Amino acid sequence: MNQHVTPAPLQRKSKIIDIETALDNVKEGMTIAIGGFINAAHPMLVVRGLIRRKFRNLTIVGAASSGLEMDLLIAAGCAAKVATPYISGEKLAPIGPAFRAAAESGKISVYELDEALYYCALRAAAQRVPFNPWKAGVGTSFPEVNPALKEIDCPLTGERILAIPALNIDVAFLHAAVSDRYGNVQHNGHGYGDRAIAAASDLTFVQVERIVSNEEIKRDPLRTTVAGADGIIRAPFGAHPFSSPGFYTEDQAHIKEYVTAATIWAKSGDDSAIKAYIEHYVMEPADHVAYLERIGLRQVLSLNEY
Amino acid sequence: MTMQTPQSDATTDIMSAPPSNREVMATVLSRDLEDGQWVEVGANLPVPRAGVLLAHLHHGPNMTVMMAMTKANVLNEPSIEEFELITDARATRWAEAYYIHNDLVENMKFRKNGVFFAGALQIDPWGNSNLIGIGSDFNRLKFRGPGAVGTTNATVMNSRFHLVVNAHDKRIFVEKCDFVSSYGWGRGKGDREALKLPGGPRYCVTPLCVMDFEDESRRLRLKSVHPGITVEEVIAKTGFELIVPADVPETPKPTQRELEILRKRIDVAGNLR
Repeated sequence: MNQHVTPAPLQRKSKIIDIETALDNVKEGMTIAIGGFINAAHPMLVVRGLIRRKFRNLTIVGAASSGLEMDLLIAAGCAAKVATPYISGEKLAPIGPAFRAAAESGKISVYELDEALYYCALRAAAQRVPFNPWKAGVGTSFPEVNPALKEIDCPLTGERILAIPALNIDVAFLHAAVSDRYGNVQHNGHGYGDRAIAAASDLTFVQVERIVSNEEIKRDPLRTTVAGADGIIRAPFGAHPFSSPGFYTEDQAHIKEYVTAATIWAKSGDDSAIKAYIEHYVMEPADHVAYLERIGLRQVLSLNEY
Repeated sequence: MTMQTPQSDATTDIMSAPPSNREVMATVLSRDLEDGQWVEVGANLPVPRAGVLLAHLHHGPNMTVMMAMTKANVLNEPSIEEFELITDARATRWAEAYYIHNDLVENMKFRKNGVFFAGALQIDPWGNSNLIGIGSDFNRLKFRGPGAVGTTNATVMNSRFHLVVNAHDKRIFVEKCDFVSSYGWGRGKGDREALKLPGGPRYCVTPLCVMDFEDESRRLRLKSVHPGITVEEVIAKTGFELIVPADVPETPKPTQRELEILRKRIDVAGNLR
């Protein structure tokens, strides 16, 4: 019997997923990356989610200048190895307290890089080449403290240069202003080094403050910073306690609460305060809304830029 | 044109205190900078921030000032609000362009006319410096530093740099750095050139003094001591043999005009005083 079948219309797939689905992509032993910059724009649903899932053996690539989100992951024991040129809260904590303690005791290993070497490593990964060359760093201790870096003679000119191996990232997590449902992400402002992190990663998941229409993205395509993320996580106030440009400032009181707890642990070995912090703000809240409820509506809505 | 402004009590108060040593430090950095240069304003570095902005507002109308990862020129801003954190998005409102961070760190041509300021945990006699950490074993550091940030690169690719530290003692000024994260003059004249590294350190500015590098040995040499500081104090607090000329002048204080710009437009909050 001849039947005329009208094929179903093709449908473009939505990239919007929940945080747990995004976290399902992370396996023990992987190299993951966390975007943002010092006290801004870290994907904190992801950071808290990784801690709740009790990862113990991740290599974590922080931002070129990372902040206390890395320190929290170290304090919670998720990081076996970190690759970042800087872990600091600026004036809120000149050196990440847990980073300092864990590095000094040998609990974590540090893949030492400066910012230029870091971007060389990401670019080599993005280019799918074994290494990128760089000049600065020659004559310093970098090849000694990070034996993966090699001082070599340039095959063209003979001058001494550094070979920086590709730093391949399995899964990258970022936090940005908006995305459409198809994963076209736009940051407010310059977006730090988030593009370079995404380019070096096999998979990129982005938390956003708001999901917007595809038409809104197409009003200014030049602003699109990650063209086609693998998954978008709806995350209003999702960088808290850090700032999110165009939306809210950092929550200094909360960051200080973390720093106080982590510093006690780092200085005295007494981990009761940091354990209590992690229990209260990370383990107990069932989801992001429950976390924000713990912070309190009044506090969350007081973090105004202007 | 001279502005005839009646002096209010508040203005008199702001200008009445003698220059602080941190204002003197900022003035040293400012006077080294030339119009047209490219400079960065870091966060949480009040002295270099003030030095850069002082040069810009005092004699550098065509300088490019990198603030909060933007290209800015704030010549016509009545006062430059100071932000506590480099990530404060409000500091991007003066942007003429955004620097995507990987472009800022990897595009090196614009730094040819740049001047950089680097901090340090340790500095040796030749201006090699360390931000990695203190200890003999990298895997068991006695003191883990924050990391080199962008200093390894910026101390090579800019036309010159200055070491600026918040303290002057024998823990910072050491015969040998445990690790070198920023190359200075190596072990003397010719070392940096042999590695084909451009740039190099010019001054080392501390709360006590200004040092430069003697040409032949490329070792640190006392250039001037800040008001109220003695040469003996500097020598006693330096952990290696410092070259000390017979005549060490006092570090020049800011002029009235420099001090007014500093206090009324750059450091209204008084962080340097």
